[in-house]
Amino acid sequence: MLRESATVVVARNETWRGSASTEPFEAGWAIEAVIFVRALKAPIGAMPEVRVEVSPDGIRWLPEGTRFALPAEEDAMTMARVSHFGNWLRIAADLHADTELTVLVTMHLK
Amino acid sequence: MMAANDRIIFTDRGLSRFDPLSRIIAFDDFDRGGCGWTQLTGNYEGSLDTMLPGFAQITSPMLSTLGHWETGSHGGIDGSYALKLATRPDRHALSVGIKRLTFRKAGPIRFEFYATFKPEANSLALSQRDIKSIGFLFDLQSGTEDGERVMPHLRYLNANGDTLQEKWQFKRHRPTISDIGDAGETVSHFHLADANWEDLPGGGQKLCYNEIPTKVNWHYVRFDFDLATMQATHFQCNDRVFDLATFDSIRIAAMPNLWCMLNICFFVETNTDKRGFLYIDSACLSGDF
Repeated sequence: MLRESATVVVARNETWRGSASTEPFEAGWAIEAVIFVRALKAPIGAMPEVRVEVSPDGIRWLPEGTRFALPAEEDAMTMARVSHFGNWLRIAADLHADTELTVLVTMHLK
Repeated sequence: MMAANDRIIFTDRGLSRFDPLSRIIAFDDFDRGGCGWTQLTGNYEGSLDTMLPGFAQITSPMLSTLGHWETGSHGGIDGSYALKLATRPDRHALSVGIKRLTFRKAGPIRFEFYATFKPEANSLALSQRDIKSIGFLFDLQSGTEDGERVMPHLRYLNANGDTLQEKWQFKRHRPTISDIGDAGETVSHFHLADANWEDLPGGGQKLCYNEIPTKVNWHYVRFDFDLATMQATHFQCNDRVFDLATFDSIRIAAMPNLWCMLNICFFVETNTDKRGFLYIDSACLSGDF
């Protein structure tokens, strides 16, 4: 049987301001994830790093340890590879005041 | 009409819990993966900003073992995984999953599934009124150019505001159709708005919510529809069969790119600012051909 594989859009045309995160996603069947963040519009202001977070229940979250840049210009992309994340997975960032980023976030799981 | 049970001795225990017609069009056991159920997106042109807000909020379905903070994975009926639809944590938030097919014969079809619904278990309370509704719909269009686009909708209105409702409703009111973009080629209509739902006569039904948000019981639903007459012929949930004498579907003019369309959607809507979850253990679509 072929291995299960899925491309999932976890944030589509969402504008991040302040503390922002993707909605909780369950991927316990997968052993690896590649996460892409694409800027759908020109970012306003300097972007902080984004962090991968994991959770025992989809309610309480901890940093997984992986951090990566957010895209700095329109249509730019950044990405990270993650494994051993358990079941629940999301990315989160704390944007500086008066900054914003409109994102397309996809997870590629297998 | 021949049922598959009349001619087949099922060796598949998953399929044997259904009563399909003679042709299995799709048997979706989510222990085998996502089975072609995907995120519903609204129509757009030029920019995603042109998408109607009701569609923009919709999130992606996922495979879930129904893991809970104090009891762990609940699992499915006879496997580990179910398809999960999750809303955002806002009152009146909605999420929709869709499977897109076309039909090869305009005749009777039957859609059966096992489902359950729960709010996010983030408070130590019964939480029975936190889900507003769960439901399903077909999005159909005739294969003949004098035909219609027909969208039978059914939802279980669980609660509204502070009040449990516990009744089935249908929708036949035609939604507003909006132009999308400037090219004159794209339109959109948000047919799942919380307006113009009508009570199914005799449609009250108490389900097995259970006693806390993390105890889960599966329910059986069957809906029969005739693609020749574009009429619903049977609706059942668990041990109750409902009278469809007053039931009708949303009916709009045929659209230029949707001939023989056979789409199926599930949806879940919140009544509070907690995420709402609809889980589908398995589903079977069958036809009489």
